[in-house]
Amino acid sequence: MKQGMGAKAFKLAIAALFAISATIVPVTGTFAAGEVLGAKCTNEGESTGTTSSSLVCKKNSANRLVWQKVKLSASNLKPVAPLKAPRGSIEFWHWRAEDKAIFDQIIARFEAVNPGVKVTQVISNSGDYTATALQKVRTNKKAGVVTTFRGSQFNQAAEADLLVDLSNEQFAKRNVISSMMGAGKYKGKQLGIPYQSLFNNPVYNIEIFKKEGWKLPKKFSDWISYCKTAKAAGYVPMAWMGAFRPQAGQIINSALMNTASTDALLESRIQAIDTGKEEITAAWFKDMAQKYADLRDAGCFPDNPKGVTEAAGNTLFATGRSPILPTGSFSMGGIVALNKEMDGNMGLTGMVWTDDANPRYTGITNNTFILGVNKNAGKTEQRISRAFISFLTQGEIATIYANGTKQHVTVLDVTYTDANLRNTSSIMSEKLVLAPRFIFLNQGVRDILEDALIAIVGGEAVNKALEDGARLIKQRLG
Amino acid sequence: MKTTETGARGGASPRPAKSKGPKGRIARSNDRTLLFMVLPAAFIYALFYLYPTLNNLRYSLTNWDGLREAEFIGLKNFTRALTNDDIFMKVLGNNIEFTFLVVIFQTSLSLLFAIFLLKNSRASVALRTLFFFPTIISSVSVAMVWQFLYEPNLGPINVFLNSVGLDFLALNWLGSETVTLRAIAFTQVWFHTGQMMVVYIAGLQQIPQELYEAAEVDGASRWQQFKSVTWPMALPTTAVVMAYTTIQSFRAFDLVYAMTQGGPNNSSSILVTLIYLTAFNEYRFGYAATQSIYLVIFILALTALQRRILRTKY
Repeated sequence: MKQGMGAKAFKLAIAALFAISATIVPVTGTFAAGEVLGAKCTNEGESTGTTSSSLVCKKNSANRLVWQKVKLSASNLKPVAPLKAPRGSIEFWHWRAEDKAIFDQIIARFEAVNPGVKVTQVISNSGDYTATALQKVRTNKKAGVVTTFRGSQFNQAAEADLLVDLSNEQFAKRNVISSMMGAGKYKGKQLGIPYQSLFNNPVYNIEIFKKEGWKLPKKFSDWISYCKTAKAAGYVPMAWMGAFRPQAGQIINSALMNTASTDALLESRIQAIDTGKEEITAAWFKDMAQKYADLRDAGCFPDNPKGVTEAAGNTLFATGRSPILPTGSFSMGGIVALNKEMDGNMGLTGMVWTDDANPRYTGITNNTFILGVNKNAGKTEQRISRAFISFLTQGEIATIYANGTKQHVTVLDVTYTDANLRNTSSIMSEKLVLAPRFIFLNQGVRDILEDALIAIVGGEAVNKALEDGARLIKQRLG
Repeated sequence: MKTTETGARGGASPRPAKSKGPKGRIARSNDRTLLFMVLPAAFIYALFYLYPTLNNLRYSLTNWDGLREAEFIGLKNFTRALTNDDIFMKVLGNNIEFTFLVVIFQTSLSLLFAIFLLKNSRASVALRTLFFFPTIISSVSVAMVWQFLYEPNLGPINVFLNSVGLDFLALNWLGSETVTLRAIAFTQVWFHTGQMMVVYIAGLQQIPQELYEAAEVDGASRWQQFKSVTWPMALPTTAVVMAYTTIQSFRAFDLVYAMTQGGPNNSSSILVTLIYLTAFNEYRFGYAATQSIYLVIFILALTALQRRILRTKY
């Protein structure tokens, strides 16, 4: 019995270590180059880059923070060259129409080094993709590479046994940053390679903060003060978009990240709500919801917040009427399209919803665009697909993708040259957690609780919104 | 001759006795040919209508998630929708309100416009074209335009209302649970009134001019002419307009989805958007199948009611 307990404790310790290494993302990148092995550093988890030889700021045996050489991939070995593809053709299913031109370039290179191979992109918008892609690829022998969103879609694909296990592929062990691979794991198997590394919530206008002499808020009471100051100065403090859940729900990541003392506790709480074992009227959730009301009362949100669309929110931010855009790095391209002067004028910061002096997390990241191989594709198609994914995980190729699409990636040895990508250095040095919003796997439950939080921002009393939401969730799971 | 008459009156089969002669063979051959000609249509109907309908019925009795094996759960989905799903009941209520608003306003406005623009003058033709124009725009484009117009802080409607001192009318058009459905209904009316106006103009132009001349001779006012001549004569067209408008209001998926996705808090969701979200957002295909069966029942009930009312009118 004693031995059993010991083994259990050991397993728990291993799980906790894994959770920490999987969630604190050591990726500062080329932005903080010049550190020396063993020299002092200040932010645990910060790294000098995402190359095979990058240094990471970690505690040494004397409990001092120093730069150490810590492997970023799951192997000590160097990244591997791409696999050779047999002759044939595959379809590459994804939802990012904005990446089509860059993928066309990459595919042309892939086809050039693999004569007789043809890769065709099959793209639908994200809504349709979420809705129908998995059903369509299930019976499509040509649909070799299938991308999925982190969270419920990846989980559904995994549960339906739709994805090939890539755990033993060398490119999955040696070419990518292992701490960013958690989103593509299911029951210990690497069923997909999360390709993008996003940073959520919020984007800020560097120029306005400089002009007004404001410091970036570091804790919850700072945010309340910031909102009052910014509102008094005539700004909309946060261009929050309450009209649609996908945008409105982004700040729940920040709201959730410090609500529990451990990752395991947060995960178990979310799972309890997801499965109906706990209600959203629980004290911890209510405390979090109350902070939405506090922000509302401090004037953080736009007038008529529930009617503000994505276009209107982006306009508020792009035109300088709002200094904060509470979405993420993925919005930056759209902002530059609205106002070219914003190019290079955007930074990312964290949004801490606690006044703890030493919060566990100060920022959000998300690894998504999970590249997987369709188990129902033909054998040749599966081999081509593996080769194509191995090609995408080459540093040189991922560099083309990253700079061309203004996205950070999870691949090693990538050089970021785009100004907006380099400007994110501030968020890179934060203690980042994998976006907890996607721990909710029941989309119906998440929709209802996000509706309740949106209602609170819209003026609803916290208790009523949560009680209404709890009733609907109960019915949904009943 | 007599025998034949007696036989007919005596209730014998009206079908001619099978002839074994050459004429009978031709008749049988014609029957087979006719049957053969019906087959393609029957096949297409069975494949694209009957089979999906029966399959939908089958899925409604399961908890199918779209990918894994479906599990039979009997009538659980049906009872759940009616007894333990506030969102479904709310959306059903929304659908009734939406259809009612659209049918009433679209029908009456299109009739009004048709009456004013009945004459084929240059101004009337120009205005008809203008009013018809929204119909040819794609519904998603219409949704985007109205989403911009309705924006509560930057949208032209509220900016105008605020600038003329009518700020109490500047509502949160797409963000208020009490206003949003009506705002979308208004957009739907704006979108299709021109189309129904054209149908009415075609109908009104068929009314004989003599009836109006006779009414004028009798000293009837414009209102009396409308009440006693135009309205009764336009009733068949009204029936078509109302039926078509009802169907349109059930098919407003694209407009609702693009404008609000059914929000806030399902306050603008109608049955077709709920079914879509249940199936493709939550992956509850079995339950979505049940909701769609209730939608069919709802449409059948409404159609029966309409037919009953119109039969009374005629």
